[in-house]
This record gives sequence, structure tokens and C-alpha cells, in this order.
Amino acid sequence: MTRKRIWIAFALILVGVALCAGLIAPHDPYETNAALIRLAPCRAYPFGTDQLGRCVFSRVLYGARTTLSAAFFLIAISFVIGCMIGMLCGYFGGIADGILMRIANLFLALPQMVIAIVIAGILGGGLSGALIALGATMWVHFAYQARSHTYMIKQQAYITAARLSGKSSLYICLYHILPNLLLPLATNALTQIGSTIIAISGMSFLGIGVEVPKPEWGAMISEARAYLQLAPWCVLFPALAIILTVITFNELGDLLMEKEA
Amino acid sequence: MELLRGAHLTKTFPEAGGEQIGIRDVSFTLQEGEMLGVVGESGSGKSTLLRVIAGLIRPQEGELFYQGKSYLGKRPQEIGRFLQMVFQDAQGSFDPRMIMRRSVTETVRGEVNGAELSELLERLRLSEKLLDKKPLELSGGECQRMSITRALLGGAQILLCDEITSALDVKTQQELVELLKEMRLAKKLSIIFVSHDLDLVEELCDRVLLLQDGKVQK
Ligand SMILES: Nc1ncnc2c1ncn2[C@@H]1O[C@H](COP(=O)(O)OP(=O)(O)O)[C@@H](O)[C@H]1O
Ligand SMILES: [Mg+2]
Repeated sequence: MTRKRIWIAFALILVGVALCAGLIAPHDPYETNAALIRLAPCRAYPFGTDQLGRCVFSRVLYGARTTLSAAFFLIAISFVIGCMIGMLCGYFGGIADGILMRIANLFLALPQMVIAIVIAGILGGGLSGALIALGATMWVHFAYQARSHTYMIKQQAYITAARLSGKSSLYICLYHILPNLLLPLATNALTQIGSTIIAISGMSFLGIGVEVPKPEWGAMISEARAYLQLAPWCVLFPALAIILTVITFNELGDLLMEKEA
Repeated sequence: MELLRGAHLTKTFPEAGGEQIGIRDVSFTLQEGEMLGVVGESGSGKSTLLRVIAGLIRPQEGELFYQGKSYLGKRPQEIGRFLQMVFQDAQGSFDPRMIMRRSVTETVRGEVNGAELSELLERLRLSEKLLDKKPLELSGGECQRMSITRALLGGAQILLCDEITSALDVKTQQELVELLKEMRLAKKLSIIFVSHDLDLVEELCDRVLLLQDGKVQK
């Protein structure tokens, strides 16, 4: 119970920080200052400053917004698409199911990094390429999960009863299958937040995610790693932010999974 | 009067290493007001027969008639107007996330008649309070009675009961059987009662159909 409260509180704080970054941040995250380069943490700059004299604390706060909103957006879209397609495949089966699932398999086989690089090449970089590349495989996982759950639910007597009651396939999908599908899928979605944040930060670290100077944790680590010995705080704080966020959402996912079981 | 008739119904399931027999060349009739028993061991094809009759699976061969007219190939959504099922899995017959009021009235096409619902609940000794609960908050016996309520609320005159007492304890089984007898008389129901309990079926039913390996035994 207390463990549960702690993680929920943590998650709420993280989301709060992401939403209110502008109110909390002491400085403009883009503001450079040649006089204050690589300043160690102090009262005015709690996490120090980076190689351009920008406030690392403010950038970590704004980074929460960039990373979390990208992760939520990506998961939400993948969730909706995967859920719908998986549910339809599981419910109706047949040829459409065979074709759609084969296409899904193709997406799963796509190498994420290669797509991200290709899209970055076409669209000229930025977060969208990374998100499309990650989303291309993510929806498939939701689709598979939705499909297998739908298949199990479909065997239940209450679905047969609803059909004999004259209910249409649309009604059955919306009012019987979907509500019984949401909890297991939402649990999965929550556990995906952690790995998605790592993936987004990882891509940004490699330079195919967000573009400089936008504050993003992975990109910040990437920029700062060259002078890790001179200003370790520039790497330490964004790295801590990633670790804390990933652990928080993984724990939340575990809690939901326990509740489900 | 003959209400329901099946002729030479055959349904086999393809399976690795040969065909799995569901039912083969099964014929039956159900007279108005009659209770027809179907007995057989587990795997003898009882459930398959009921699912074929309800239009949930299509037989490879055979014919089905309701009041003399063929209804083979009609959708379960249509067939449910004159025929409803009660299942072995009492709790599983209801959506775990839906309150009973909503599940039970699903068979109603159009306005729900509150008086009719109350009457059925009273006859089946069910409290109206149960309507606001979810199936897992009810006992197995209560769920089965709710299942009968749902079946009858839509106006069906034929009930297909698939081992409806098998998952219940002995006392609850007896209560349910007594209630089914009462309902049958009160509502002039025609019932196909599937069970693996020969004694129960012989006591309860007017005629008995014995299934073995998907075929009717004389
Ligand atoms: N959907 C199905 N797919 C494959 N085989 C099935 C299916 N449904 C039933 N069967 C097979 O048909 C036979 C009869 O099953 P069933 O009608 O459920 O028997 P009963 O209800 O008498 O126990 C069994 O051997 C079973 O394995
Ligand atoms: Mg059976």
C-alpha cells in the first residue's frame, strides 16, 4: 500500500513537472551565458550549467516535458491503432486476420534504427522520425495482445449469449470485448513507458531524435559526454532523470499487473 | 405440434491426424411443451449439437426447421428470437464488467418491460437488488437463474440447457431443477436438456436422446 502510494506520487510529480516546467524552472532552458560555462551546482544553478552556460536544472525540467509527452503520445497512438486492429482480427478471424497479421509481422521485422535514419533523412531529422520508427513496431505488440485477449474473450459464454440476444458485432466489440481488453492492455502500455523513454533518449543520444538545442535527456547526455570529467553534472542529472522516470513507470506497471492478477 | 426439428445433422472438426467428430447424422424433434433430454459422455457431441441448433456453428450436412420452416443459415441474432441458451458456466454467462440489469435485458429488443422482469425475478426467487451487482458477486445458482431470466425476457419459447447443473452443488442443483420445472409449466416452454446425468434426465424429461461418439444410440 505504501509502496503503491510512493510510486503513484512519484509518477504524479513527474507528470506535474512536465506540465509545469515553465513555472518551476529558474532559468530559460535555451539561454546561453558565456560567463557561466560549466559552473558546478550552486544555489542559483542547482544542477550546474553546461558547456554553453545553460541551466542544467531548467533543461532537465523541460526535458521531462519533451520526453514524457513524446512517450505518452507515441504509446497512445500505438495503443489505439493496435487495439482496434487486434480486436477486429481476433473477433472476425478469417482472411482479413491472416492478411493484417502478416502485415503486422512485416512491421515487426523492420529495423527501428534504419527506419529512424531513413525518415530523418527524408524529413530532415527531428523527433517525428524517431517516433514514427518506434511506433511502426510498437502498435504491433498491442495488436498481438489485443488479438489474443479478444480471442479468449470471444470463447466466453457471455459473448454467445449476446449474439443470441440479437446484439451486433459492433455492439459486442464495443460493450463486451473492449472493456474487458482495456485493463490488460493498459497495464502493458504503462510498462512500455519506461522502455519507450529509453528508446527516445537513446535515439536522441545518437542524434536521430530531438534536435539541438531542444532540451531532451538523451540529447543532453550526448552533448555533455565529451567533457564528462570537466562537468560530470551535465551527464549525471539527465541520466538520473531517465533512471528515476523509467523505474517509476515500471513499478506502476507492476502494480497494475498485480491488481489484474 | 412440432416446434423444432433437426434432420441428419453432421458437423465434424478438422484436426491434425484425421477428423474430430462433433456430431454425425443426428436427427431429433421437439414438440411444443416437451422436454427432450440429451445424454452422453463428455466429448460425445452434446454441446456441438446445441451450438448447431442455435446457429452458432454451421453443420456440413443436415437441415433445421422451426415450426416447419427451415432456419438453417440464419444468424444467431435472428434465431435468438425463438430460442435461447443456458450454459454450464454460470458466472461466465455474464460479462464480468457489466451489471446484471444490463446483461439480463440484452435479449430485449426495444423497451424493457419492468413488470415482466419483476415477475420473472419473483418466479425465479431472485431479489431485484441483484440486478445492480456484477456476476462475480452472485452465486453460481443465482447466475443460472439470472441466465434463465435473460433467456425468457426476450420472449423465447425454446430453451437449450447445456449441463446447467453440472457446476453447482447438489442442493443448488435440485433447486434449479425444481425452478426449471415450474417455469416450464408457467411459461409453456419447450426445452432441450443436455446432461451427462442419465438419472436426472430420465426423471425430468419426456424423451431421451442418447449420444455416443457423435451419433444417436437407439
Ligand atoms: N471448436 C471445436 N474445434 C475442434 N473440435 C471440437 C470443437 N468443438 C468440439 N470439438 C470436438 O467435438 C467433440 C464433441 O465435443 P462436445 O460437443 O463439446 O462434447 P460434449 O458437450 O458432449 O462434451 C469433442 O471430441 C471435441 O473435441
Ligand atoms: Mg459440453
